[in-house]
Amino acid sequence: MNRLIRRTGAPFPLAKLTNGFLQRNCPMTQLTSIDYLVILSYLAATMVIGLWVGSYVRSGSDFFLAGRSLPWWAIGISLVATDIGGPDLMGVGGDAYRYGIVMGNFAWIGCIPAMLIGAFVFIPHLWRCRVTTIPEYLERRFSVYLRSAVAFSWLLLMACNLGVMLLASAIFMKNLAGWDLSACILITALLAGVYTWSGGLAAVVYTDVLQGVVIMGGCLMFVFIGIQEVGGISPLMEKVHSVARVQNQFDARQRERMKAPAERNSDPEKPRHHRPAHESEHLSLVLPVDTQSPGPWPGILFGLGLIVGPGYWIGNQCIVQRALGAKSEYEAKASYVYGALLKNLIPFLVAVPGLIALVKFPELGHQRADVALPQLVGALLPVGFRGMFVAAFLAALFSSVDAYLNSATTLYVNDFYRRFYRPQADEGQMLTVGRWTTVGFVLWGIYFAFQLLAFPAGIYTIFQTLLSFVVGPTLAVLVAGMLFRQASSDGALTGYVAGLLTAIGLFSLNQPSLCRWLNLKPLFQVGQPYLYYSIWSFLVSVLFIFVFSYFLRSDPPEKTRYVIGGLNPNGGAV
Amino acid sequence: MTLFHWIGDTLRQQLDQVPLSVARWLMIGLFLALMFWIVQLPSTVTNPTDRPAKWTSDLKIWAWLALLIQIVIYSVF
Repeated sequence: MNRLIRRTGAPFPLAKLTNGFLQRNCPMTQLTSIDYLVILSYLAATMVIGLWVGSYVRSGSDFFLAGRSLPWWAIGISLVATDIGGPDLMGVGGDAYRYGIVMGNFAWIGCIPAMLIGAFVFIPHLWRCRVTTIPEYLERRFSVYLRSAVAFSWLLLMACNLGVMLLASAIFMKNLAGWDLSACILITALLAGVYTWSGGLAAVVYTDVLQGVVIMGGCLMFVFIGIQEVGGISPLMEKVHSVARVQNQFDARQRERMKAPAERNSDPEKPRHHRPAHESEHLSLVLPVDTQSPGPWPGILFGLGLIVGPGYWIGNQCIVQRALGAKSEYEAKASYVYGALLKNLIPFLVAVPGLIALVKFPELGHQRADVALPQLVGALLPVGFRGMFVAAFLAALFSSVDAYLNSATTLYVNDFYRRFYRPQADEGQMLTVGRWTTVGFVLWGIYFAFQLLAFPAGIYTIFQTLLSFVVGPTLAVLVAGMLFRQASSDGALTGYVAGLLTAIGLFSLNQPSLCRWLNLKPLFQVGQPYLYYSIWSFLVSVLFIFVFSYFLRSDPPEKTRYVIGGLNPNGGAV
Repeated sequence: MTLFHWIGDTLRQQLDQVPLSVARWLMIGLFLALMFWIVQLPSTVTNPTDRPAKWTSDLKIWAWLALLIQIVIYSVF
């Protein structure tokens, strides 16, 4: 979750990682002609698949939903590939170096429960409603105002992320292989743009199948070689414990030293309980409330598991659009279940390299953890295999860029162009407009990526934080709309806006500059409290939805029939 | 100190009292609850309706497998 999401996408690792690369040089990996041959073969295969699929696209429906013809296995791999962005691949590795396997929570408890609930409850209902976008469902169930508000929030987020992703990935490639920054941005945007322009969702999904295989194959090879290099799984675990313990002690001393004397006395560093002295937190998924990692257990369980995960897998157009393109309701469900099975494997592929890097390069420390993975690629992988890993990175990058391009286009064309400007547009016109909008977003992504270079490094963090703002309120309106007839359109709109304002307010009250000005301490004690923004914004949204729905007018039956159970399998009223 | 700080501090202190073993069981409990819910779903929800159902096409099995792997992972780590 990546994006949340992380990404969940893992959004914050991207921010930190990118900032890190902007500030520091990291060792370059030498690529040989064999490596380049592997990379070019991968790129050529991607283009061939994308353009071949594109030759079958004849209408707007083909372009946005692949003519509702996608099989479960392709959607399942595509879901997983899209969720692992290129920067996330590196970012999670760096954060696993820093914090350990706790980063696996983002793909495990943050995804699997949400995917299964989505598979059996929410996705089949959206498929039955025969909508193209989630905001379209929200208009049928609630109102055009809510549709526009949700579509605008997500469109803004996707458009910003497009530029962030292009720039962040270009910086990685520059540092990994010495490639030119501008050329990386242009080539990535143009290649992903060409096949997304040609084939729309079908091209995105079928190229994702190749990309998913390349990502998993490349990372599996990397992990296998790495574990062999450190002597096996048990020695790896022992070494991780011993290196991490020393690093954590060093960091704790550093934090103590940074505190003012009064602060040191009132808020001393607490000793860690519940853990044998020879173990570190690096191999634990359940971390205490005051952990320095992004994964304190309440945030993971209540924020990630119950809100951010479901919000991402049920409310993110980028993800749900694939299942809406499934050839049947069963195939839509099966794709999510299959994706959940694959998700079990992902943290082993993307987080374990970070642990191997910790053992191999303990001298980097937390401050330079972001360069650990590129350094490991250079040190560990032989000629040809480096090309495979770079191809895996590019695959992860393309799978996210094409998904964002296609979904941003879908949102704009369906929720704004067709809804407000050309309601009578036919399938041919929709296809033409969809393709031109894709071109527009490619150009915007390139422009924005270059613009970001001029901004201070913190701008990335702000963009990634935007995701945590919208996930909670989006989930709240979807859950209320699908499960409760009593939820009204006025209540939903009020709840959505209240949730957004809550997240923005909490974010503001945690900014050091504002806190200094108000003479307050930051609201949250953990380093990256974005999971908490989502929890509180979701709760406030739910509260407002139900209070305002109770006191304001209720919706007519043609709206409330869009709750789950109100439609038959053919989309008609029960 | 605002009302928000007070709420946050109180919650943090309360949650800090919860042993990590209990937190781990809460997570595993989430997976167990999902397994219980999935096993109760009618077979019409988890099987294809447009063709004869084989055991491999029953989504309950695969959903259970995904959750079972999660329980093992959260028990070990």
